[in-house]
Amino acid sequence: MTSARRRSLLRLAVTAGLATPALLRGRPAASAAGNAPAPSGFRVTYFAARPGSGSRDVACSPTDATVWYCGQRDGTLTRFDPRDGSLHPVPLGPGAAPHGVVFGPDGALWVTEGGQNAIARVDPRDFRVQLWRLPEARANANLNTGAFDREGFLWFTGQNGIYGRFDPRTERMAVWDAPRGRGPYGITVTPEGSVWFVSLAGSYLARIEDRETGRVRIVEPPTPRQGARRVWSDSQGRLWISEWNSGNVSMHDPRDGSWKVWRLPGERPRCYAVYVDEQDMVWLTDFAANAILRFDPRSETFLAFPSDRPGANVRHLGGRRGEIWGGESGNNRLVRIETPA
Amino acid sequence: MRRPEPRPIAIVAALAMGLAALPGPGAGSAAAQDTVAARGRAVFEARCASCHTLAPGDEGLPGPSLAGLIGRRVAGDPGFDYSPALHAAAARGLVWDAAMLDRFLADPEAMFPGLWMGENGVRDAADRAAVVRFLADASRR
Repeated sequence: MTSARRRSLLRLAVTAGLATPALLRGRPAASAAGNAPAPSGFRVTYFAARPGSGSRDVACSPTDATVWYCGQRDGTLTRFDPRDGSLHPVPLGPGAAPHGVVFGPDGALWVTEGGQNAIARVDPRDFRVQLWRLPEARANANLNTGAFDREGFLWFTGQNGIYGRFDPRTERMAVWDAPRGRGPYGITVTPEGSVWFVSLAGSYLARIEDRETGRVRIVEPPTPRQGARRVWSDSQGRLWISEWNSGNVSMHDPRDGSWKVWRLPGERPRCYAVYVDEQDMVWLTDFAANAILRFDPRSETFLAFPSDRPGANVRHLGGRRGEIWGGESGNNRLVRIETPA
Repeated sequence: MRRPEPRPIAIVAALAMGLAALPGPGAGSAAAQDTVAARGRAVFEARCASCHTLAPGDEGLPGPSLAGLIGRRVAGDPGFDYSPALHAAAARGLVWDAAMLDRFLADPEAMFPGLWMGENGVRDAADRAAVVRFLADASRR
């Protein structure tokens, strides 16, 4: 690769004042059938998704072992059961191209369904699908990601320049223009209940400060044009951001307004997904390394979990206690990393 | 960034793929041309513009510039780091023309498995033809 944008780790670390973490690669653990070599203490397992599905964003059931994923290419939300490997696709409608999925407080799955420009609800008991389309004036919003706040409102982003709020109780939807237009991508809710989103094309973090008017406050990350793609809150309400353009992971602490930035390992990382687990370990994906990474904020070290197949393209990570899940969109697989107790 | 000159192959390919059915430069009414141009721009705005610019150079977007795309080799924005899938295509000497762009937009993942772009294709053939024409026209400017 040749690139005018390529910068060495050392040079960036010096000019941007970045921390310089170490990359750890643990010794391979004994691998059982169906498992891949993994750093010691971890177990990585790959599962087949539907062929041609483009398995991407995932949601782990809070009540059973199942994991649901968006089949962006086959227009389904599909339930996967790791106990027997079974797949149950739920077609979302003509032209469906689901991007994001989260569990709601009602136990249903809520999908940012870009293909039909709608918020979709899937009942996990009877697989009934309900759609609420965006207003006609908001056609082609390119719906991206959703998150529920503590009051039960679904907040969502649309990459073509909107963010919005949906109330499942009243079925009322509000949609607002995003600052700087195109770009709203990942969205998250902190433990204390504040809603934040990031803009990939706009390269910012924003807090939704007024939930009635939609007024937002932009918080500028320290790296210009960083391409903030996804955001996740840790248990302290700190915001962890995966930066696609810069290849950094950054952290903003709203309590004191501080930022910290770490460059991912490798020559030209491309940081796509971020998820923070119950131990406040930060999980990332790097497309250039074709790997899932675990970043330990205490030791400031990375641990790499390269895929066993090229072109995995894990675009989203989710999880539950002891398990990290992702969709290998490029391989039509799901990947699970079981973490040490 | 130097813009490549339009290549005859793009015009030939456009005819071969049925783009001649669309009003092009020098053919059809101005109104029909405007309609196709508007449709192509609308498809570009709805499906492409959140990640790609038509301006040369780096504007901080997550995808490469599409300036001068037609006639340019695959993975041809020198300021962008492409996926291994597109680097492999570039190593095979592939050059964007209208026909290849149409096939790509129909199902990007099918043409280049493992590419980083996460979009489904443009399913409607007329939409696809219009945005191909729009990008071809932009390449000539």
